[in-house]
Amino acid sequence: MGPNERRSFMKSAAAGALAFTVGGVDVLLTPREARAQNVPFRLLKSGEADTLEAIGETMVPGARAGGIAHFLDQQFSVPAEEALLQARILNVRPPYVNFYRAVVAGIDKASRAGYDQRRFAELTSGEQRELINALRQNKLAGWEGPPPPFVYLLLRSDAVDVVYGTMEGYESLGVPYQAHIAPERRW
Amino acid sequence: MAVNDKVDAVIVGAGASGSVYAAVLARQGKKVVVLEQGPDWQLGDLISSDLWGRRIKPPRSPFLLEGKNPVSHGYQGGWGVGGAALHYFANFPRLLPTDFKMKSEHGRAHDWPISYSDVAPYYDKVAHDVGVSGDAKAEEIWRPPGQPYPMPPMKTFKNGDLWLKGFQAVGIRMVPAAVGMNSTEFKGRPACLYDGWCHIGCPIGALANPLVTYLGEARKAGAEVRPFSVVTRVLTNDKGTRVTGVEYYDQSKTRRVQHASVVVLAAWAAQNPRIMLNSSDGKHPQGLANSSGLVGKYLMTHFASGTLALFDEDVENHKGTTGAQYMSYDRYGKTSQPGAFGSTFIVAGFAQKTNDLGGIANTRLDLFGADLHAYMKRAVRGLTRITSFGEEMPNIENRMELVSDKDEYGIPLARMIHSYDQDAQALWNANFDEGLKIAAATGAKESWAGRGPQPTIHLMGGTIMGTGPANSVVNSYGQTHEVPNLYIAGPGIFATAGASNPTYTIFALSLRGAEHLAKTWGTVAA
Repeated sequence: MGPNERRSFMKSAAAGALAFTVGGVDVLLTPREARAQNVPFRLLKSGEADTLEAIGETMVPGARAGGIAHFLDQQFSVPAEEALLQARILNVRPPYVNFYRAVVAGIDKASRAGYDQRRFAELTSGEQRELINALRQNKLAGWEGPPPPFVYLLLRSDAVDVVYGTMEGYESLGVPYQAHIAPERRW
Repeated sequence: MAVNDKVDAVIVGAGASGSVYAAVLARQGKKVVVLEQGPDWQLGDLISSDLWGRRIKPPRSPFLLEGKNPVSHGYQGGWGVGGAALHYFANFPRLLPTDFKMKSEHGRAHDWPISYSDVAPYYDKVAHDVGVSGDAKAEEIWRPPGQPYPMPPMKTFKNGDLWLKGFQAVGIRMVPAAVGMNSTEFKGRPACLYDGWCHIGCPIGALANPLVTYLGEARKAGAEVRPFSVVTRVLTNDKGTRVTGVEYYDQSKTRRVQHASVVVLAAWAAQNPRIMLNSSDGKHPQGLANSSGLVGKYLMTHFASGTLALFDEDVENHKGTTGAQYMSYDRYGKTSQPGAFGSTFIVAGFAQKTNDLGGIANTRLDLFGADLHAYMKRAVRGLTRITSFGEEMPNIENRMELVSDKDEYGIPLARMIHSYDQDAQALWNANFDEGLKIAAATGAKESWAGRGPQPTIHLMGGTIMGTGPANSVVNSYGQTHEVPNLYIAGPGIFATAGASNPTYTIFALSLRGAEHLAKTWGTVAA
């Protein structure tokens, strides 16, 4: 980042809100709002987004509507210094989209191999749960991708972030958020 | 390459240790420049959110994390002013006398070149500098007497109090935890609100992070902090006998040299050895101040055995601090746990949040989907835990070394290799076993061991202190044995790890080193 970009980063970082592009203009939205408004993805292809939404929803009910794919896509598009992803804490090397693409490819390959050539997003909820449980226990035959228990931990964390990690999420669980400095837009 | 005017001291890193050096030297009238690789955070940037809190941790780790128990660099490290002490939990236990005499008392590892009595006065000074709450008298069942803490203990909550019955059942004495937080107003900083957001940075200044303590004082005394300044090398004179400054990239990615009479590397146990190894030259072919070959060696971490308990009642686990309410050294003796070796430090009572690595959702990693949601609904009211920190013995195979791949500044990446030995595994397991006994005696509805991969917490070592270059990199002040005007600060100079959270000792050793440097400035500075 150059000095101007850094100043801009600091300013937006302090605001505590995510910028999505709508009609060529950056607007501050929550991932839930971005999904509801069908904001175009910056980097994800629609098939990749479908798979990530399906994984997220299987991990934590509410992750799809909470905008997990829009959250991840927005995060892939910003510099690593701005990233809010759990991947940052877990030492995934940027650009993060590469890691997630490898995960999506691995999950969909495992899905096709085990379930009549259907992608993960095309499975029934029971089948999706079965596959994720196998991923968790490192029991996916022929898996190609990052270590399955790590994939489980990271994607589950993303879904937890979207559903339980926000002010709305705390409210849904009935627990006080108690912010000193609240994130803008309750995210 | 741009060359800046020479200053008295250049300090690399604006975290806990660098802040102390900056404050002490600036107060002495020295011209001090602090180079910090990350942003110049202000308290107002510390948004209460585990998502937004990740911004103060390192992006783009330059470390390849290897071994059976890789170092958790991303979670432990800091990025920007304050360093890791901007998001630390501010538990302030001190090391005990036995920690300094490992070789003498047990024939293992090595002794420190100093004893507890050398450090104790600095623990007391730091407590009054930054503000510590606790009951020093109560701690004296385990350690020599010292000064009282400046503030009384913090409030406790059900999530801590409920454990006391369990500890009593197994004969473990608990006392109020010593913490670097304000139980009352202190030096114009407000008392804690007990909202549990300590771990992503306290924006009200009730927690003693560097911004509101030593770094703030350093700035007031005239120290200049340059954010987004990435140091690549330490430079030496032609003979290699003295350092002359550092090379770094500034905010606009311009390569610069900052000349200085003294260089203090305070960039944590991870970056200090990387910079030293990358500073090799004709006079220092193995890296700067590394004729011993020990730069990057003896990396150490702590491991935590967390025991979780679920109650039907509301344990108020949204209240409190991320740090502890109660603590105990009753298992600190190196042979306290049968069949294991090493100290254990026990803490109880924490506020808990929903997400992030330490969040409630990760306390049952086996659950997902509707089962996870049902668990979350119960756990946000009824879950509480205790943690036993265990000591790892120094092992020369746990090390850092440069690799051929480079980062965006042309600095070689470094491989950090770390594996626990059988002692560490045995102690980790023993502490889980005891934790379950404690939990069973609390009357909790359910309890379980929070097992996962054995964690690596609190990076230490890599530039250890000792009596000379045959066994160490620095002396007890952090001054390198080979280059007198090069100092190393931070947990990297610990000779052994103990089991206590390290930041109080980091502050104390840094204060001791900085005051010694100031006192001997005339003979040290070049």
